[in-house]
Amino acid sequence: MLNQDAVHAIILQALNNINDERGPDEQLVISLDTRLFGADAVLDSLSLVSVIVDVEAAISDASGREISLTDDRAMSQAVSPFTDVNALTAYILLLLSEAA
Amino acid sequence: MTEAVTLPAAGAYAGKLALITGARRGVGRIIAEHILKHGGRVAGFARGESSIAHPDYFHFQVDIGDPASVQQGFSALRKVTDAVHIVVNNAAVLTSQYAMIMPPSAAQAMLNTNLMGAFMVSREASKMMRKSKWGRIINIGSMAVSLEPIGDSMYAATKAGLASLANVMAKELAPFNVTCNTLGITAIHTDMLSQLPQDKIAQVIAGLPIPRFAEADDILNVVDFLASERSAYITAQTIYLGGVN
Repeated sequence: MLNQDAVHAIILQALNNINDERGPDEQLVISLDTRLFGADAVLDSLSLVSVIVDVEAAISDASGREISLTDDRAMSQAVSPFTDVNALTAYILLLLSEAA
Repeated sequence: MTEAVTLPAAGAYAGKLALITGARRGVGRIIAEHILKHGGRVAGFARGESSIAHPDYFHFQVDIGDPASVQQGFSALRKVTDAVHIVVNNAAVLTSQYAMIMPPSAAQAMLNTNLMGAFMVSREASKMMRKSKWGRIINIGSMAVSLEPIGDSMYAATKAGLASLANVMAKELAPFNVTCNTLGITAIHTDMLSQLPQDKIAQVIAGLPIPRFAEADDILNVVDFLASERSAYITAQTIYLGGVN
């Protein structure tokens, strides 16, 4: 099963993919605390969708398991999985642990 | 001489992979063979076995009306290619019957295949198109949306939904240089059409501004137009054949 570092790397890569499409003056500051969704989020809605698609695909490739980050359960979490990179990582690890 | 002008250039689809649903027969097969003939590669999704023998044709047995089957089809497709450039959402089922006696299962099947299937295929394909920053999604609509013939309540509704699907996705996918359009075809001699009463079809045809059946090239002409490089600025449009509007 993927560990925390591996999931971190996948999410950070997805954010780097967004930066690859942006100009030098529009680069996101990427860290484990990067806000993905909400008032202080650094991503616009389409960029967030792109990150979700990339992360879902990469998790599937790496683990052999399909996960959904946008189903009802994800949206009803007390703490949004998209609060920041750490929160998303924790949610993905939870899903993977259940799938196992 | 006229024909030489209207036909697409040799190799017009070279370097492109088109995913066509319902590729085994009818309109889907016509489009698939056309793209193959003009240098493209084609992936076909259909419930049955392949009916096309060509080195650049890849067949996947997929039930378009089943979301899980569509996702399995894409998993298999991604082993063949990492890029889908053109999608033709053609697969459809038709039961024509008065709504009061339409079996709910038949209505549900039309909803699943004609609309939900197109959504799922567009959803998965657009993830691939996003990476290559190029794509053409072409939904095969129907004159039934405009003509609203008796018996076609659910069929026409699903085809109307198909155009709305394209129009909304056109907005969502425009940043990725992906266009989404609908081709509203008129009656063409296919297995699907043969299921309908011939007198009813004749009546519909007679009421068209151009009162004849569609020919394959009528459809291919618009597919070529929508799929072309030059149509990058054509999106969220529905083009009807035969003068239907």
